[in-house]
Amino acid sequence: MFVKSHWWKILCVLILLYVLIAGLSIPLKPGIVGVSPVSVTSGTTTEIEVIGYNSHFLDANKKSAWLRLDENHLIAAKNINPRSDNTLDITFDIPAALPENVTEPYATLILDNDVDGTSILPGTIYVKKNTDNGNSLASWTSDEIVLYETDLPFLFPFRNILNETIRNTFFHIAIWFAMFFVLILSLIQSIKYLISKNHVCDIRAAAYAEVGIIFGLIGIATGSIWAKFTWGAFWTSDVKLNMSAIAILIYVAYGILRGSITDRDSKARVSAAYNIFAFFAMIPLIFIIPRMTDSLHPGNGGNPALGGEDLDNTLRMIFYPAIIGWSILAYWMSSLKIRLKTAYEKFINQNKKS
Amino acid sequence: MRKISKLIFKTLLIIPFILSFAPRIHAQESIDFLRSTGKIYSVIAVVVIVFLGIIFFLIRLEKKVKEIEKKVSNE
Repeated sequence: MFVKSHWWKILCVLILLYVLIAGLSIPLKPGIVGVSPVSVTSGTTTEIEVIGYNSHFLDANKKSAWLRLDENHLIAAKNINPRSDNTLDITFDIPAALPENVTEPYATLILDNDVDGTSILPGTIYVKKNTDNGNSLASWTSDEIVLYETDLPFLFPFRNILNETIRNTFFHIAIWFAMFFVLILSLIQSIKYLISKNHVCDIRAAAYAEVGIIFGLIGIATGSIWAKFTWGAFWTSDVKLNMSAIAILIYVAYGILRGSITDRDSKARVSAAYNIFAFFAMIPLIFIIPRMTDSLHPGNGGNPALGGEDLDNTLRMIFYPAIIGWSILAYWMSSLKIRLKTAYEKFINQNKKS
Repeated sequence: MRKISKLIFKTLLIIPFILSFAPRIHAQESIDFLRSTGKIYSVIAVVVIVFLGIIFFLIRLEKKVKEIEKKVSNE
C-alpha cells in the first residue's frame, strides 16, 4: 500500500542519488590543462612543457604529438619526453617560414598515446615570425594524423576551460528543465481554471508557479557560479542571462499580483490570465531572442549545447535521469504546497460557516 | 510513512559509520576509500547526506500535511 502510492517519490530519491554519486565520482577523460611557453619562434628548436590532467604519460608506450596550424600545415614532434604522469616535454623543430595564407598563426597541440587516447589543446600556441629566418630545415607537412587505438573506461569528456565543471550539466541545466516542467503544469492548470472556474486549478497553478520560481532562482544562482569559473565573471551582459532574469521577474510579478488582489474569484481569474501571458513571454525571452544574437551561453548564437561534443553519450547517461529526478522533486514539492493550501482554504471556509 | 522516515533517519546515522570501514583501495599507502581519487568521495558523502536530509524534511512535512488534512476533514 505504501509503495503503491509513494513509488514515484522513492523513484525520485533513487534517481537523484544515482545522479549525485555517478555525476560526481566518474572521472574525466585525460586532457591538457596548460602549456609553457605559449609562443614559439619560427626556425628554432623549441621545447614545450605540457601539463596534462588525468593523464598517464609514463605508462604510455606509444606516443606522438603534433603542432597543427590548419588542415594542410602540421609538424610532428621531434622528441617526446615524459617527466611524470602529468608533465611532458615535447621538442618541436619549427619550420623557418610560415605558410603564406595563414594570417593568425595560432597552432593547435595534439597529443596521442596508447593509454589516454587523443588530447587536444586548440589554437593556443602562437608561432612568432623570426626575422633572420633561423636555421631550421623542417617544413610544414600535410600528413594525415594516425591515432592509436585505446580502450578507455566509462569517462566524462574533457573540455577545455570547462574541465571538471562539466558536471554542472546534471545540476544547473537539469534544474532549468525541472523549472520548465512545473511551469508547464502551472500553465495547464491556469487554462483549466479559465475553462472550468474550478478553484482547485487556481491553487494548483499558484503552487506550481511558486516552485518554478524557486527552481529558476536556483538555476540563475548556479549559472552565475559556473560563469565565474568559466567566463570569468559572475554576471555578464549576455542576452541569455538578462533575458532569463527578466523571465524570472515576470513570474515574481505573478506572485505579487496574487498577493495584491483580495477577492478570491477576481484574484484567480486575473492571475490565471497573467500566468498564461507569463509563460508565453518566457518562451521568446529564453529560447528565441538569445538565438538571434551573439551569446556566450551554450545553445545560443551558434554555440552547440545539447548536441555536438558538449553532451556526449556518457553525460547523457546521467543527464536524462537528472532531468527526470529534479522534475519529480519539483512536482513533489509543489504537491505538498497544494495539499497545504487546499487544507488551509477548507479551514477558512469552515470557520466562516460556524 | 513513519516507518520509511525512521528508516531514512537510521540510514543517515549509519552512513559515517559504514564509510569509516569502507574498503581500502591502496592498502600500502593506507589510503581508504573516502580519501581516494582526490578525496572526491568525501564530497559525495557530504552531498548525499545534505540531499537525504532535505528528503527527510520533505517526508516529515508530508506527514504533517496529512495530519492537518485529516483534522480539517473531520471537523
